[in-house]
Amino acid sequence: MSAAAYPPAPVAAAPLLAVEGISLSFGGVKAVTDISFAVRSGEICSLIGPNGAGKSSLLNVINGVYRPQQGRVVYDGVASMRITPRRAARRGIARTFQNVALFKGMSVLDNVLAGRNLHVRAGWFRQVLGLRAARDEADGHRRKAEEILAFLHIQAYRDTPVGKLPYGLQKRVELARALAAEPRLLLLDEPMAGMNLEEKMDMSCFILDINRDFGTTVVLIEHDLGVVMDISDHVVVLDYGRKIADGAPAEVRDNPDVIAAYIGSAH
Amino acid sequence: MLLLSETGQFSTRYADDRRVFRLRQARLGIIALLAFSYLVVPLWASDYWLSAILIPFLVLSLAGLGLNLLTGYAGQLSLGTAAFMAVGAFAAYNFQLRVEGLPFLASFLLGGLVAAAAGVVFGLPSLRIKGFYLIVSTLAAQFLVEWALTKFGWFSNFNPSGVITAPPLSVLGVDLSSPAGRYLLTLAVVTVLFVVAVRIVRSDLGRNWMAVRDMDTAAAVIGIPVARTKLLAFAIGAFYCGVAGSLWAFAYLGTVEPHGFDLNRSFQVLFIVIIGGLGSILGNFLGAAFIVLLPLLMSNLGGSLLGGVIDPGDTENLQKILFGVLIILFLIREPEGLASLWRGLRARARVWPLRD
Ligand SMILES: Nc1ncnc2c1ncn2[C@@H]1O[C@H](COP(=O)(O)OP(=O)(O)OP(=O)(O)O)[C@@H](O)[C@H]1O
Ligand SMILES: [Mg+2]
Repeated sequence: MSAAAYPPAPVAAAPLLAVEGISLSFGGVKAVTDISFAVRSGEICSLIGPNGAGKSSLLNVINGVYRPQQGRVVYDGVASMRITPRRAARRGIARTFQNVALFKGMSVLDNVLAGRNLHVRAGWFRQVLGLRAARDEADGHRRKAEEILAFLHIQAYRDTPVGKLPYGLQKRVELARALAAEPRLLLLDEPMAGMNLEEKMDMSCFILDINRDFGTTVVLIEHDLGVVMDISDHVVVLDYGRKIADGAPAEVRDNPDVIAAYIGSAH
Repeated sequence: MLLLSETGQFSTRYADDRRVFRLRQARLGIIALLAFSYLVVPLWASDYWLSAILIPFLVLSLAGLGLNLLTGYAGQLSLGTAAFMAVGAFAAYNFQLRVEGLPFLASFLLGGLVAAAAGVVFGLPSLRIKGFYLIVSTLAAQFLVEWALTKFGWFSNFNPSGVITAPPLSVLGVDLSSPAGRYLLTLAVVTVLFVVAVRIVRSDLGRNWMAVRDMDTAAAVIGIPVARTKLLAFAIGAFYCGVAGSLWAFAYLGTVEPHGFDLNRSFQVLFIVIIGGLGSILGNFLGAAFIVLLPLLMSNLGGSLLGGVIDPGDTENLQKILFGVLIILFLIREPEGLASLWRGLRARARVWPLRD
């Protein structure tokens, strides 16, 4: 994965996402304190930090799963105070979860097709009647889903119930479901957790491909610093709910606060 | 010879892959079954079998389907099935009574729609609560509906006993009040509604139902309108129960009365769905057959075996106990219901005589 062989997606100057002064607490627990950073359109931005630093909480604020006590999220130039997960999805934000959140009783294909629900035009009644337009549309969604399955090399598991797949493949299916929405911003919460080296390599390549081929902006949480330094354009470091560093991978790596945070913790 | 061989049967278009019966053998089988039910059964079966076994079997399958859409597919627990059946039956009756010349099928449809509206109202709590709490709130629906239908005479046209005789059935001028006629009408309605249900669960709506069932937070995150999806499940599930209620009253009992739709009925339909298999369309038929036929079998066997030894009152209680024990044993062995038993058999038949 040398930089020369892998030209990155063009990164625009304007931020697609800006997090401004976000604070979030659960009762007495301060998960996130006054955090601001910006993600430019087309970049891969990694959020790192020790366990409990508030990374997942921040991701949950960005797509409206949690509502912060303070601050706001500006996405695509629009500041929204009360974003809901569904509204975030409609505006092009897709995500995966730290603990795989698939629809366990459904097949891989159905999970991916469910990810396309925002693109479905024909109402259920027309689909039940089997009108020509509805059938053609269903073919289109199926074709798109098949493209994504092929892209992530999981066509063979198309009809397998996701609950029966090994963990590494479940992570991939969850990514497939997120991609099915054709998002502009992809939030990935530890997509490589619990994977071996080879699986991590595969997943890193998928993320780079998504970023380059579709121009999708990616915000990624990852503990493996090697991977982070390799694939990110931009790294934000959190510790105890606060931001301690923000910049290019090389800058962040040499930042004394970051070194202290990582040596001072279990990592 | 492989009976269920798939050799040479490829899906070359996505539409082929979406077919309900992808195998030629399965399609032939279903055509044979339909021909048998429509042509042979009405001629052959005795009046007793038609009116006391087959009609309730079909109607209960339909009610099971309604609950299965709501619970098995959309994951919303409900004990209000009989309430929705009652709303459907009484609404159909009142449309018949108050609209001159309204065809029966139209009043069944309207009864179903009124039940759907009731379903939405009693489904509103599902936007806030889940699981056990939702059961309690649908239970409230059950009691409220029964109470309202008994309390307000208008619903039963101020009939002092509250039990109304349903008018004799006819469709397009053809008299269907004979057992065979009532059976055929029920069968036709059930066939159409099952086909529609199969199409619904395979549509995007069905997929959204299952998504909400399996994980509603993830469903919201991928953009599924969770509230709307749940309420549609209540509406459509209650519609099915409502039509089943109308058939129960008009085609089976011949009377419309609130007490035929009590909590016991809700439980009966729940058992059908659990025994047949949650999240299965076929399971509703299997579960209903089990519930309708097992007591019959037991009373016949019990009558001949224990006839002289135990008095009839005790055999009836014994039957109930045995019935309960059988259900428990069955569910321990096959928690996913008869439908999963069937799937297992079919999977084995596909490769028979080889073993997988
Ligand atoms: N729903 C919640 N209720 C209460 N406390 C929470 C909740 N979610 C997170 N927290 C707390 O907020 C803090 C930050 O948690 P968060 O999950 O955001 O950390 P993280 O950086 O993602 O950690 P990890 O690397 O372990 O995933 C922790 O102290 C955690 O216990
Ligand atoms: Mg986390």
